[in-house]
Amino acid sequence: MATEFHNLQELRHSASLANKVFIQRDYTDGTICKFQTKFPSELDSRIERTLFEDTVKTLNNYYAEAEKIGGQSYLEGCLACLTVYLIFLCIETRYEKVLKKISRYIQEQNEKIYAPRGLLITDPLERGMRVIEISVYEDRGSSGSSSGSSTTSSSGR
Amino acid sequence: MPVGLSVGGALGDPSPSRPFRPSRYVPVSAATAFLVGSTTLFLCFTCPWLSERISSIIPLYNGVVFLFTLANFCMATFMDPGIFPRAEEDEDKEDDFRAPLYKTVDVRGIQVRMKWCSTCRFYRPPRCSHCSVCDNCVEEFDHHCPWVNNCIGRRNYRYFFLFLFSLTIHIMNVFGFSLLYILHHTKQLDQVNAGVTMAVMCVAGLFFVPVAGLTGFHVVLVARGRTTNEQVTGKFRGGVNPFTHGCLKNIGYVLCSSQAPRYLGRLRKPRSLQVQPPFLRPPLSEAQLAAKVLDNGIQQSKSSLEIMESQSTDADPPPPPKPEHRYPGLPHTQNEECSLLNETPPTPSLYKYRPAYSSPGKNHTASTHSSKMSRGNSMTESPSVPVTTGQPSYLSDPSLSSRGGAGCRGGGEGGRAGSGGLGGASAFGGRSYPSFTDTLLQSAAASCSSSLRSAQTAHNALGPLISEGTTSTSYKSLANQTRNGSLSYESLLTPSESPEFESAAHELSPPRPHPPNSLSTVPGPPHILGYTSPFLSAQQREGSLQACPAPLRPSPNRAFLRPTSSPPSRAPPLSPRARSLGSPPPGPAPGHTPLGKSLSYGGGAELQHRPSTSGGGTPMPNSTFKQNVANHHAHSHKPAGGVKKVTGVGGTTYEISV
Repeated sequence: MATEFHNLQELRHSASLANKVFIQRDYTDGTICKFQTKFPSELDSRIERTLFEDTVKTLNNYYAEAEKIGGQSYLEGCLACLTVYLIFLCIETRYEKVLKKISRYIQEQNEKIYAPRGLLITDPLERGMRVIEISVYEDRGSSGSSSGSSTTSSSGR
Repeated sequence: MPVGLSVGGALGDPSPSRPFRPSRYVPVSAATAFLVGSTTLFLCFTCPWLSERISSIIPLYNGVVFLFTLANFCMATFMDPGIFPRAEEDEDKEDDFRAPLYKTVDVRGIQVRMKWCSTCRFYRPPRCSHCSVCDNCVEEFDHHCPWVNNCIGRRNYRYFFLFLFSLTIHIMNVFGFSLLYILHHTKQLDQVNAGVTMAVMCVAGLFFVPVAGLTGFHVVLVARGRTTNEQVTGKFRGGVNPFTHGCLKNIGYVLCSSQAPRYLGRLRKPRSLQVQPPFLRPPLSEAQLAAKVLDNGIQQSKSSLEIMESQSTDADPPPPPKPEHRYPGLPHTQNEECSLLNETPPTPSLYKYRPAYSSPGKNHTASTHSSKMSRGNSMTESPSVPVTTGQPSYLSDPSLSSRGGAGCRGGGEGGRAGSGGLGGASAFGGRSYPSFTDTLLQSAAASCSSSLRSAQTAHNALGPLISEGTTSTSYKSLANQTRNGSLSYESLLTPSESPEFESAAHELSPPRPHPPNSLSTVPGPPHILGYTSPFLSAQQREGSLQACPAPLRPSPNRAFLRPTSSPPSRAPPLSPRARSLGSPPPGPAPGHTPLGKSLSYGGGAELQHRPSTSGGGTPMPNSTFKQNVANHHAHSHKPAGGVKKVTGVGGTTYEISV
C-alpha cells in the first residue's frame, strides 16, 4: 500500500522512455546523407505524418547542402592545401557549419513539435549519421499506479 | 572546435583496450625515417651546390613539395578515417534477433548488401567495412595502410591520395636533382657530399617504383569511383558500380568535397529538454477509428490483466496495428483467445511472419501481452516487469533466458545471469526500458568471441550442413552471440537451424525473411513451435506457448537437446533449470544438427521456400522431416524419466526433463 502511494506521488508528472524508433538512411541516391521519409508506424498515434515528413525532408536538405561540391568547398580545399592544413585550426569547414545549423534545427523542432508530443529526436551525428533516433516517451503518471496495483496482484499470486 | 584530428581508433569509444602491439609501428616508423631522413640529407648535402650553381629556387621548391608531402602524410596518419561509433544497445533491438546477416538495399537501381557487423552492432552502410586491425567500422573503407598505421576511409582518403601523389613528385625531384649533382661531380665521387647524394639517390630510386605504382593505381581508382577494398574484392568486376558519378565528378568528390565530420570524440550536448506529459496526440484518421472499434471488444477484456496502460489521460486502448501489418482476418490478440479456449488452434497468423519492423499496434498490444505473460512467468523479483514495449519486448525474454545462461557458449553465464537479465532491464514505474549492460555484452563477448567470429566468418565451423550459401544467409545472431538470451533458446536448438531458416527466408526473398505462408500447411503446432519459436518475438512465443498443448511442446526440444531444456525459459521455475541444464551443447555441434534440422523443419513446407543456393549443405527431403517429426511426436507422449511438470500462466503445463 505504502509502495503504491509512493509510486503514485513520485511518478505523477514524469515520462518514461518507452521505445526508440530509428529512421534509417535512404541509399537510393548513393552514399549521400539522406534519410528515409517513410513514416514509421510506431509514430502513427504520436505525431502527424506531415510534421514528421517535413522534419526529415528539411534534414535531408541540410545534409545535401553540407555535402554539396561547389565553389565554397573547392576554395576551402585549396586554402587548406596552401596553408598545409593549418587552416583547419582556425576556421570551421562548410560541413561543420551546416552541422551546427542542423543541431539548432533539431533542437528547435524538439522544443516546438516533438517534446509536446512525447517524442525526442536525437541528432543523427551521434549515431554516425546512420539513423535518426526518435525516442518515444510514455506518460508514467497512470502507469505508476497500475504498476503499484500489479505489485499487489503479483505478490498475491 | 573545427579541428577534426584524432588518432584513428585510439579514442575510447570505438575499440576499447586494444593491446599495444609495437610491430604495428614498424612500417610507419620506417616510412617516416626514410622520408624525413632522406630529404634532410638531400637538403643538407646536395641542395647547397644546386642553389649556388643552378638556382636558389631548387631548395625552395623541394622544401615546399616536401612540406606538402609531410603534411599529407601526417593528415593521413592522424586523421580519423571516418570511424562509426558502436551502436548503442537499444539500436539493434528493433531487428528481430533472427534478422539476417545481410540486408539488401537499393543504391541507384543496384542491389547492394549491407552486412551485419557483430562488433559494431549495426548493418554496415554501403562501402563501409570493418577493419580488423583497428577493430572499427570505417565509412567508405579503402584499406588499412601499414605505412601510415591507419585506416584510409572517407575522411582521410583525400590526404592519402595527395600524399602518394606528392611523394611521387618528391621522389622524382630528389632523384632528378641528385642525379644532376652526381653528373656534375663524377670526378669527386669520394667526397662526403657525393656519397650521401648517391645514397639518397638509391633510396629514392628504390621507393620510386612501388610508390609510383600505387599512385597510378589510386588515380585509376579515383577516376572509376572505387575503393581499394572494392577493387581488390572484385565487387564490381563485370558489373556496374553504383557509386560512380563519372570521372570528373568522382575526382571532384575526392578532392573538392568539404571535409566530412568525425563521429567520434564529439562533445555531446547534455539534453536539456524535458519531456513532460500530458502529450499532444494527433487526431485519429477514419481507418484508425474503424480499426479501433474492431479491437475495442477484445482489448477491453484484457485491460484488467494489463500491468500498465499507455496513457493516463487517454482512455482508449493502445492504437491498433495498421491493417496491413496484420494477417487478414485474424486479429492480433487471437492467440490469447486460443489459450483461453485451450485447444489446438489453427496455426495463428502471428507465427507466419516476423515483425519486419516495429509497428505501433504490435508494439502496444504486444507489450500488453508480454506484460501480462511476463507478470506470471517471469522474474517476480520486480513487479514492474522489465518487459518492455513492443519490439523491445522480445528482449525481455532474452534477459530471462539470459539468466538461463544459455546465450553464450563457453560459460560465464551464471555470473552474468542474475545481474545481466534484470539489471539490464531498468524498471521504471510502469514501463521499463530494457537496456543491456555493457558488462553483459562484454562478458558474453569475451567468452563468445571465438564462436562469434567462427560463426560469422568460417561457416565451415558449423559443419557440412552449412552450405556456401549461408555466408549470405546466416543470421546475424549467429555472428552476434552476445546479443540476447533468446539466442540461448536458439543455440539450444543448434545453430544449424538458423542457416536452414535463413535459407528459407533468404535475402533473395523479401528482405525480411518471415516464415512464409506455407506454414499454414504444416500439420500441428509443435513443429511450428520448434521451428518458429526462436524467430518469434516474446509476445508471439508467449502466445504460442499458451496456444498449444503443453505436453507436445517440450518434446521437439527434448528430443534433440542434450541436455534438454525447456522452451518456456520464461517461466521462473524454468529458468534456473534451464540454466542448470543449459549450457548449450558446446559449439554449434554438428552432431545435433540432423535432429535439430528435422525439427526446425518440422514445417516441412518450409523447404519449399528454400532457394537452391542453400542446397549445398542442407538438403533434406520433406518426407524425412515429417517422419522425424512424427518420431518426435511419439517421443513426446512418453514422459522421460524425471520429468517435472511446471504450471505456467493460464494453467498450461510444461514438461521438463530433469
